[in-house]
Amino acid sequence: MKHLDAKTLRSLVHRDRVHRSLYTDPDIFDLEMERIFERNWVYVGHDSLVPRPGDFLTTRIGSRPVVMSRDADGKIYVLRNSCGHRGAVVCVEDKGNAELFRCCYHGWTFKLNGALDAVSMPRGYGKDFDLADPALGMPRAPRVEAYRGFVFASLAEDGVSLAEHLGPARDSIDELVDRAPDGQVDLSGGVHKYMFRGNWKLQLENTVDMYHVPFSHESTVGRGGRQFGRRPGESAASEIGDSGTAAARWEQRTAWGSRQGGHGFAGHQPIAEKLPDNPMFRDYVASLEARYGAERAKEILRPKRHNTAFYPNMSLQALNQHVRVIIPVAVDRTEIHVYPVQLKGAPDAMNRGFIRHLNLTHSAASLIQTDDLECFRRCQAGVGAGGAEWVWFARGVDTDTEDARGDYVNRGTVEVQQRAQYAAWARLMCEAT
Amino acid sequence: MAARSADISAAMLAERFEIEDFLRHEVQLLDDRRFEEWRELFAEDGRYWVPLRPDATDPDAESALFNDDRAIMQTRLERLGHPRIHSQTPPHRTCHVIGNIAIQERNPERGECTVRSTMIMADYRVRVQRVFAGHVTHRLRRSDSGYKIVLKRVDLINCDDVFELMAAPL
Repeated sequence: MKHLDAKTLRSLVHRDRVHRSLYTDPDIFDLEMERIFERNWVYVGHDSLVPRPGDFLTTRIGSRPVVMSRDADGKIYVLRNSCGHRGAVVCVEDKGNAELFRCCYHGWTFKLNGALDAVSMPRGYGKDFDLADPALGMPRAPRVEAYRGFVFASLAEDGVSLAEHLGPARDSIDELVDRAPDGQVDLSGGVHKYMFRGNWKLQLENTVDMYHVPFSHESTVGRGGRQFGRRPGESAASEIGDSGTAAARWEQRTAWGSRQGGHGFAGHQPIAEKLPDNPMFRDYVASLEARYGAERAKEILRPKRHNTAFYPNMSLQALNQHVRVIIPVAVDRTEIHVYPVQLKGAPDAMNRGFIRHLNLTHSAASLIQTDDLECFRRCQAGVGAGGAEWVWFARGVDTDTEDARGDYVNRGTVEVQQRAQYAAWARLMCEAT
Repeated sequence: MAARSADISAAMLAERFEIEDFLRHEVQLLDDRRFEEWRELFAEDGRYWVPLRPDATDPDAESALFNDDRAIMQTRLERLGHPRIHSQTPPHRTCHVIGNIAIQERNPERGECTVRSTMIMADYRVRVQRVFAGHVTHRLRRSDSGYKIVLKRVDLINCDDVFELMAAPL
């Protein structure tokens, strides 16, 4: 990989554009897995998916298979899903509960914290073989931290704290979790899993792309220029258009991107200001007020952000509230997992409504996400057409401002969030090894 | 249990013929992309459900590939008819085969019966052909105008798989 030195990598990313090879070069993909996914904080899972001791789920950090487990003492671990003996994947289920993990091949067993529990037929090993050697366990992610149930891990021993990594993006987790009357969210309502034949960054860019909506999703806009209802009990939702008052309102939304961390958000959709008015929602507001008082409840319900991208692999969305996880598989293949978010302490009917509406917007057979997936597929198919070098993120580049942290701030349908993503990309990819 | 010839009546044969004919008609409408007519096969309280997990029991308690009542179907079908639906440009072509049709349960008071069948469906779009296979449960209600679907549930054998995009009902 001699050709991918820091100088070369830096030349691939400009403020307003990135080189097309970022989507097509397998060597760049391998470097991304190493330098972005394995040295940085990445989202792994939510603690409501492993509520009891012994619970575990399997996922990936970049292309590395991992297990997130809850040990007997309640602590959450992230382990490489690999037997310390011959390397076989130990856990094959998506999720489950176990007292010990047992490798199918020769029966070695591991504790929920990854430590080697027992070697089968141990007398066959010589006296120099140290069964207490930590290298024989399932390797542990050295750093695991959770924020309000959202579990992040880093495969690197050293680095910034999770709080520093997340920066102001963390407020989006608060905005979501504060809406639960019990102050906790639950992600155990199933998961939508899909795959597209395209690079992982296509999905990450799209999670905070407010420019594509009237075009990619034109088929979801019905008569009167409104999208179908996206919240329980709602028949018509956002006004969507590329001109007139609908477009003008969208231009008022905040756009923010962290140059350092790569995170970004788009301000709330105009429709979110109009709170639902039905008995179920009034019950919900009452339970929030009972818990927090009327003034605080009002502040909690005031919409602030619509989409937040947590670099490099997770996003939150407010309107059809969900957590989206991006799993890169190959330079031209990506898996996405979408979890509905239930608000603990909210009326049961409301949480069921969230789950049901998310099917409509974000299942593999949904009305919204399918058109995004088609756009990603076409991007991947076309980006290697040749004759052009760049993919452009120039919209609004002249009007970006910087806040006190040095992060980018702008408004509306600009591509500032993507500019921030690639500023972070260049930083992470070019950092000395 | 397989029926014995001595127990088979003309009424049973007629019922079986009608149900088989109805199910054949249903998948024909899907393959022909006559979705509005397909929606009309559902009762007013009808539901179309494709779970994402084997043994799911409550459609609204967990994520599903499809969990459509007639109102949601209407929204879905309006979109399928839109000239700029990118995920169906070009559209999927589909080919259903149904078999192993068995009437499992009758509820004469409600005029309903439950029918189980096996479905194989292939679809094709932009150089990708896929195969879906699953067990289908229809709860059918008899009306003056023939059968109406109260519930169509498709349990795909790969329900918890990672899917590429879909648009049309299975």
